[in-house]
Amino acid sequence: MSAPRDDYIHCPLCGFEFAKADTPCARGCPLSKSCHLISCPNCCYEFPPEPRVVSWWRRLLSRPELPKPPRDLFSLPELEEGEHAELVSLTSEKVSRRNTLAIYGLVPGSQLVLQQKRPSFIVRIGETELALEADIAREIVVRRSRCAHAVDLTENTGAAQKTGSGS
Amino acid sequence: MSAPGSSATLTPAARPEAARDGRTIVLVGNPNVGKSVLFSKLTGKFVIISNYPGTTVEITRGQAALADGPCAVIDTPGINELAARTEDARVTCNVLRDHPGATIVQVADAKNLRRALLLTTQLAELRRPMVLVLNMMDELEHSGHRVNIRKLSEILGVPVVPTIATARTGIHLLEKSIGQAAVPARLELREAAPRSQVALTAAGLPCQDDEYQRNVARLSGVNEIMAQTYTVSRPRHPTFAQQLGAWATHPVKGLLLLGVALYFMFWFVGLFGAGTVVDFFENVVFHRHVNVWAIHAVDAILPFPHQHQTEESEYTLAIPFAPRRGIELTTSTTQVLSPRYTADAHAAPRWWHGIARFVHDFFVGEFGAITMALSYGFAIVLPIVTTFFLLFGTLEDSGYLSRLAVMVNRIFRAMGLNGKAVLPMVLGLGCDTMATMTTRILETRKERVITTLLLALAVPCSAQLGVLMAMAARVSWTAVAFWVGLMTAVVFVVGWLTAKLYGGPSSDFILELPPMRRPQFGNVAIKTLARLEWYLKEVIPLFVLGTAVLFFLDKLDLLTKIARLAEPLVTGWLGLPSQTANAFLIGFLRRDYGAVYLLDAAIGPNPLLSAHQVLVSMVTITLFMPCIATLFMIARELGRQAALIIAAIVTALAFGIGGLVHQLAHGIGL
Repeated sequence: MSAPRDDYIHCPLCGFEFAKADTPCARGCPLSKSCHLISCPNCCYEFPPEPRVVSWWRRLLSRPELPKPPRDLFSLPELEEGEHAELVSLTSEKVSRRNTLAIYGLVPGSQLVLQQKRPSFIVRIGETELALEADIAREIVVRRSRCAHAVDLTENTGAAQKTGSGS
Repeated sequence: MSAPGSSATLTPAARPEAARDGRTIVLVGNPNVGKSVLFSKLTGKFVIISNYPGTTVEITRGQAALADGPCAVIDTPGINELAARTEDARVTCNVLRDHPGATIVQVADAKNLRRALLLTTQLAELRRPMVLVLNMMDELEHSGHRVNIRKLSEILGVPVVPTIATARTGIHLLEKSIGQAAVPARLELREAAPRSQVALTAAGLPCQDDEYQRNVARLSGVNEIMAQTYTVSRPRHPTFAQQLGAWATHPVKGLLLLGVALYFMFWFVGLFGAGTVVDFFENVVFHRHVNVWAIHAVDAILPFPHQHQTEESEYTLAIPFAPRRGIELTTSTTQVLSPRYTADAHAAPRWWHGIARFVHDFFVGEFGAITMALSYGFAIVLPIVTTFFLLFGTLEDSGYLSRLAVMVNRIFRAMGLNGKAVLPMVLGLGCDTMATMTTRILETRKERVITTLLLALAVPCSAQLGVLMAMAARVSWTAVAFWVGLMTAVVFVVGWLTAKLYGGPSSDFILELPPMRRPQFGNVAIKTLARLEWYLKEVIPLFVLGTAVLFFLDKLDLLTKIARLAEPLVTGWLGLPSQTANAFLIGFLRRDYGAVYLLDAAIGPNPLLSAHQVLVSMVTITLFMPCIATLFMIARELGRQAALIIAAIVTALAFGIGGLVHQLAHGIGL
């Protein structure tokens, strides 16, 4: 019997997290009708509950924070604007869509920069600026590139050394 | 050799005489790399050139004088691959198939070599003599990257010519190189799929797509060539143009920029073009000079006894900044001869008076070819379309229109379209007929049908827009806002409904953004002239024809009968004076002509229409069928049946909504 996440109460003293049903007050305390305090089942500290208005505001303003599992593959919308990435895979079911992207140079292994996410996605592949809509961007799986100049360096492995300025 | 399935039909047997016999050149290349510029530099023939992909939707042929004799040149729509997926790619593929002996000149954007080489590897599979042109070398230089041209030529086995087509640099070298065109070296494709891709495809994703895999392999081959020939410098500080390009697609700055662009467009076309310039041409050039000369000339040749009335011609020269607001510079008022006249009743009638009068009326009467058709055509329509095409040409060349598509994609999605449809829609503000032809850049028939319908229904062309703005000056701001709001609502509702009813898939929104460039004045001017020529050739004959129809109907006394016939519709349903039936009658020929007719009734010292009636007629005429030429173009693009259906829908909606506006306003008691 797990209560929804929102119903958990944090003890301000010991930080223990518990449901209201687990408090001593809920288990037959004779004062529970007239007393509004909550008693922590861990440290027995008694404190007033958070006012409802405050909790509303907190819920309204806060983003739901989901724990992020450590991973190195992202879909394009998960990147921040301006991030460099390497394309890992196109997961689109439509062959024609994958092929269109391939024509513009979006194939596994190519380097891209996410320039903008709204109102439409814009990625840069080399000198090509490509606008995509969110549906398509979601189907692009990428890996973050560490280096800011990764595009230029990895794109042309050894190019800089081979063709010197004097050639 | 494994030719891709889609291009198998165009693989010819490598003909030995092909290189010698290469008297035809086909310009092929990615979209927006400057094929058309190169074409006009080679042939001296003008083609419309813009800075957005898909300007060339039809092939253009020309003759080039090479060092070793004349040579036919064919310009093709840009393609990214040899598969005939879109309409324009099909055109290019057909050209290649129909000219098996032709030399292929692939035009490439030098800074975007990777994409060009992908196409090169596909073209190489055709085994034909080729030349690779690296165009836009100036932009490459500016970006700081470098291409080792000799090495590239060695690897590909074809001549590689660097050019800056707009500045004519390298054209001469190209003309010489065409003779040396060679069949490209075989570029072997290695199956090079990165491990991660293999892992993911093993996880059960579909992998039956040959073409895609082949392109992936081709690209890895291209990357190898790039590594040997292309040197990248560190990115430089973005130029102002790049900065502007980034702003244009920014959610907030983009809207601001759009607002500025729209106001400027409104000012230049609506206020300056349709106001200041039209005023000058209509009131000064035509009313005071051309019409008067024409009347005198006709009277001198055919002197039947009659007396022309005079009317007051008032002219104000002003610099406008908002409708009906501006800095007045000068005002002048004079008395001029009017086409209206009274025949002398007591003069002895002669047999030829009737004929003289007939001819007189045909040229300078109330429905005269000079006093009405030419003055409408040249004084009202010409200034408006000129200013519009100048501005549109500038916008096209700047690369802004593709960025506009990014901004509106979400909104257009609701109508079953995607952002790409904004190009024909905006071009429709110039000329609906041209725009209908441009709908070819859209990928599915559904999108073409919806865009065509919306163009025909609610996108007024520049001529009509100018006239409508002049009419809008007669009504209040609220009424204008209502008109704009209603038109927008109609576009959305009709678009949404059509998308729902038509069914079928919409295409993906994947759009390449061309770099922002400073428009070249020369190109904009030439383009404007070419479009004006096209426009006038279409407009003036139709205006003369329309006027002639009106004239004969008037002479046969049918105008009043038609007006009476249309009375239930025009007077009863729309609440307009019965004379305006002519406007709708003639609106079938050209809707801006109908609008000019209504404008004539709406302005002047004692207008025929009240403000309420002006609004109703504005709504009705905006939604009206654009012109007979557009109808023909729709029939050509979508088939006769679709054209008839669209025409029926548009006419029904125009009168339906116009009538509703009248009935509603009447019911409320406005």
